Amino acid sequence: MKVTYNWLKEFVDFDLSPADLSDLLTMLGLEVEGVEQLGGGMDEVVVARVLEKNQHPNADKLSLCKIDNGKEILSVVCGAQNFKQGDVVALAQIGAVLPGDFKIKRSKIRGEESCGMLCSEKELALADESDGIMVLPENLILGTPFFEAMGLKDTIFEIGLTPNRADCLSVVGIAREIAAKLGKRVRYPSVVVPEYGEPVDSKVSVVIQDPAGCPRYAARFISGCKIAPSPAWLVNRLNAVGVRSINNVVDITNLVMIELGHPLHAFDYTQVAGGRIIVRRAGDGESFRTLDGQERQLAATDLMICDRDRAVALAGIMGGENSEILDTTTDILLESAFFDPPTIRRTGKRLGLHTESSHRFERGADLEMVPLALDRAASLMAQLAGGCVATGRADTFPTPKTPVSITFRPERANALLGLSLSADRMAELFRNLEFQVQPVANGSFLVTIPSYRIDIEREIDLVEEICRLNGFDQVAATMPIAQVISDRPSLHQRLQRSVRDHFVAEGMHEIVSFSFIASGAAERLKLKEDDPRSNSIRLCNPLAAEQAVMRTTLLPGLLETASRNMNFRSLDLRLFEMRRVYLPVPGQEMPHEPIFCAGLIAGVREQESWCRQAVEADFYDTKGIVENLFEQLHIRGVVWSSDAPEPFYHPGKCCRILVGGVTIGTIGEIHPDVLKNYDIERSVYYFELNFEELVRLAGNRKVIVPPSRFPDSVRDLALLAPLELASSQLVDCVKGLRLKELEEVAIFDLYQGDRVPDGHKSIALRLRYRSSDRTMTDDEVQLVHTKVVAVLTGKLNVTVR
Amino acid sequence: MREQLEQMRQSALCAIAAATNEDALNEVRVRYLGRKGELTALMKGLGALPPDERPVVGQLVNTVKDEVESVIEQTMVRVREEATAKRLATERIDVTLPGRIHRQGSKHPVTLVIEEVSEIFAGLGFSVAEGPEIEHDWYNFEALNFPPEHPARDMQDTFFVENELLLRTHTSPVQIRTMLKQKPPVRIIAPGTVYRCDSDATHSPMFHQIEGLMVDKKVSFADLKGVLTTFTNQLFGQKTGVRLRPSFFPFTEPSAEVDIACVICGGSGCRVCKQTGWLEILGAGMVDPEVFKHVGYDPEAFSGFAFGMGVERIAMLKYGISDMRLLFENDVRFLQQF
Repeated sequence: MKVTYNWLKEFVDFDLSPADLSDLLTMLGLEVEGVEQLGGGMDEVVVARVLEKNQHPNADKLSLCKIDNGKEILSVVCGAQNFKQGDVVALAQIGAVLPGDFKIKRSKIRGEESCGMLCSEKELALADESDGIMVLPENLILGTPFFEAMGLKDTIFEIGLTPNRADCLSVVGIAREIAAKLGKRVRYPSVVVPEYGEPVDSKVSVVIQDPAGCPRYAARFISGCKIAPSPAWLVNRLNAVGVRSINNVVDITNLVMIELGHPLHAFDYTQVAGGRIIVRRAGDGESFRTLDGQERQLAATDLMICDRDRAVALAGIMGGENSEILDTTTDILLESAFFDPPTIRRTGKRLGLHTESSHRFERGADLEMVPLALDRAASLMAQLAGGCVATGRADTFPTPKTPVSITFRPERANALLGLSLSADRMAELFRNLEFQVQPVANGSFLVTIPSYRIDIEREIDLVEEICRLNGFDQVAATMPIAQVISDRPSLHQRLQRSVRDHFVAEGMHEIVSFSFIASGAAERLKLKEDDPRSNSIRLCNPLAAEQAVMRTTLLPGLLETASRNMNFRSLDLRLFEMRRVYLPVPGQEMPHEPIFCAGLIAGVREQESWCRQAVEADFYDTKGIVENLFEQLHIRGVVWSSDAPEPFYHPGKCCRILVGGVTIGTIGEIHPDVLKNYDIERSVYYFELNFEELVRLAGNRKVIVPPSRFPDSVRDLALLAPLELASSQLVDCVKGLRLKELEEVAIFDLYQGDRVPDGHKSIALRLRYRSSDRTMTDDEVQLVHTKVVAVLTGKLNVTVR
Repeated sequence: MREQLEQMRQSALCAIAAATNEDALNEVRVRYLGRKGELTALMKGLGALPPDERPVVGQLVNTVKDEVESVIEQTMVRVREEATAKRLATERIDVTLPGRIHRQGSKHPVTLVIEEVSEIFAGLGFSVAEGPEIEHDWYNFEALNFPPEHPARDMQDTFFVENELLLRTHTSPVQIRTMLKQKPPVRIIAPGTVYRCDSDATHSPMFHQIEGLMVDKKVSFADLKGVLTTFTNQLFGQKTGVRLRPSFFPFTEPSAEVDIACVICGGSGCRVCKQTGWLEILGAGMVDPEVFKHVGYDPEAFSGFAFGMGVERIAMLKYGISDMRLLFENDVRFLQQF
């Protein structure tokens, strides 16, 4: 909503600078989002008179003028022809800066000196287009700044209104707020309609067939209007608040709408068959051409203004092309009505048609403003278009509404707000808002609300008004008095933090990617159609095809991120994401939204440096991160199974991660086909874990064992094993013996190649023996070690090398 | 014998003096004092002396032995010190070469802000609550006093999904879910991901909010101001000016926008605060009685306040990020700065 400083002053007296007024409005909840100076900084554009207008000696289309600016006579070259000697004009003098940062300088045009420029409306941003320069009224004083002389100096406020404040969608509405804050009274325009001749009823009749959709409809008949351009003051005023001038009649309806907040519509009377207005709902399948030339398909819920034969307007939203005001129009049927907000909103939304009029009606217009707005516009039409207003209003108002009255408890307001205002002060604040206050029992008030404040329906609304008008800045900051609640973060919350901390310690950067991904993502990941992850939740109204479905895995986001980073030559990536995925649950309305955590590794393990060679990270770097996490969360019994590989992994370099038979995640090298789908040309390793499972499985620390004080003995054991033997079997087998002298077993070497028989590999185990209560002799160690070797070679298909 | 002893003493001391390192000294020790050493042999030779001379000579040999032993020891200490000093004097490294660094990772700024804000509110007794992102209209709108077809719904452009569900447009449904689950007192914050179909330089279709709710007996608007002042002071530094101004949200009344004095210019006006000196960082208000009715709380017995903030907005202010899109591009050159 745009409003100007001078316009507001017509309705309320205030002694505030534009800056102070801006603050006052913002602190009332009418947030000033922008302030614009009209004619600001343009004092070098002054009123001047054309003393002589001569042909430019060197150019046919230019004239060379002598211009009097009140102080001196200047020579100015001008290209326009629409003026004559003696005219008063706007002169931009040397030093003036016109809109568009156009600086006026002394110049020579075709050999003749020009000390300024005669301005058009367009050059001063007073109109979008203009034909020639402005010729001003005779009576202006030469030398005065143009904007001041024309009364155009003003400040425009752009106010961001909240949807509840329909009453402030007008100059008078904002003036009311200023008056309330300053304890003043608003001057409503006094309207005297010059009524002549026949009564309106002989020309216009109104039938409301749908009083729910249209509780009130008033009309006037104005004959003999001359459609013409509006006078300058009207054009300028509308321009200032961002409304384009059309013609005098249409401009008047717009002016009244902005001034009083009530949308009006003017029909060409001769196009309203029988002078009859019928307000009804549309027939299903009916269509209607609005005055913007669009053919609109109507629904049975749309409210229409019709004449005897046909629809003439989409109620409260836009008039019809069939009855709009044309240059030839003389007789006018002027409508001022009230339409049901949800009805207007529904239709506007369905048709995608939002107008200044529908904006006001769908937020709630003022029922009592109907006659005043009608009369104000009618009187202006008489004045500016030479119209003759028929006597009376055709005002149909089947069920007048009684004003809302609300019981208000001052002590309740103080308690809720933390204030200690007296009841008298509160009553005063209400009266400033033009609310009527009547004391009732127990110190309460009965507060009666004016019709324009449709947002005030309950006591709490009044409490807010007290706080707002008294000033939010008058509320002290106190700390609440409350019971102590100790709520430790849940295990789920604590683990989220420690898992993130773990990944950060592993050198990984956290990413946040969108929860919605491209609908083709499952295909790009080679997921089968019957894979549950291919069945993702779809958005009905996505913004883009790349954001069409809710993700079922974090992989697409991480691959896209990797791809984008690699494009910027960030090739060594350690990324993780820890966020929700969205899984439909068959038979359930609400989907499951578990948190997953996933990591992506690419490029070198450690940056190459003077002391370190670059080594490409691989599967085992990635696995180490996961193993370390399990260690930290005390998750035991983890099985790394190569069965049923995921389609998006390299089939030979991936596995499922199971605990107790339940898959809790997967890990592997991304399949080259998938990498290709994401334009990635280097190996990428990935893991994804279901965080909810991690929380379920997170265990406690093992019992702490005091370290032995006796020396250890280390034995290395090289074994020849078939290639397919999982090395974990060796370790598990040794650990399975539960030897109390065996402190540690680790794989310390792996060899595949020429020095072992085909189809075999060599695995070297390092076993550390130690007793907790004595120093073991060589013989004792050897005894245990022999047992280990015997079991390994006995149980598994291995031989000692 | 005495002469022989004296000779041996002299030659031992000479040998010690000639020894310049630990090994040479050890050789001297073996030569004179070892099992087959010269002094040891002399000691063994005592048996050949007449019995009355043995103690005297024995003592003499021992004295020499002790002397040699002690001189070797002293020399040994000196030689070692010299050797160490010499080694230290020659070993030199270039300390300006970079160390072997294990690259550190980083949390996303959105996470950092959520963790920090949660910590501050934990100190005020607020615990963290969570709820689904794919929501019912009832929790996201109706229970929060947005009736169907109310213009206020236009403030939040909604993504709809199948089954009449939607992507929550704010974290406020968590308030409703929490209040339906428990009776007052309630003190929660609800950080989470929210969605609105809107995308430009200052709007992302997915972003994050942190919602707060306190319900108890006698909670007032002044208390809201106190809690939010405490919070902003802890987040942005002591004595950050705070301003509440009237606004509108369907689920609170009175409603306020909360501004802080611009953290960039300190309130004098700059590009970030659009010359106003203030930055809008929170929406807040007293819980509307309609909301209490929807969750079965008695609005006459209890009152409360709610507030909500945009995580990205705070991250941008805290870290001086000018373009919101940087937060979702996940460029490692950006992420590794956190």
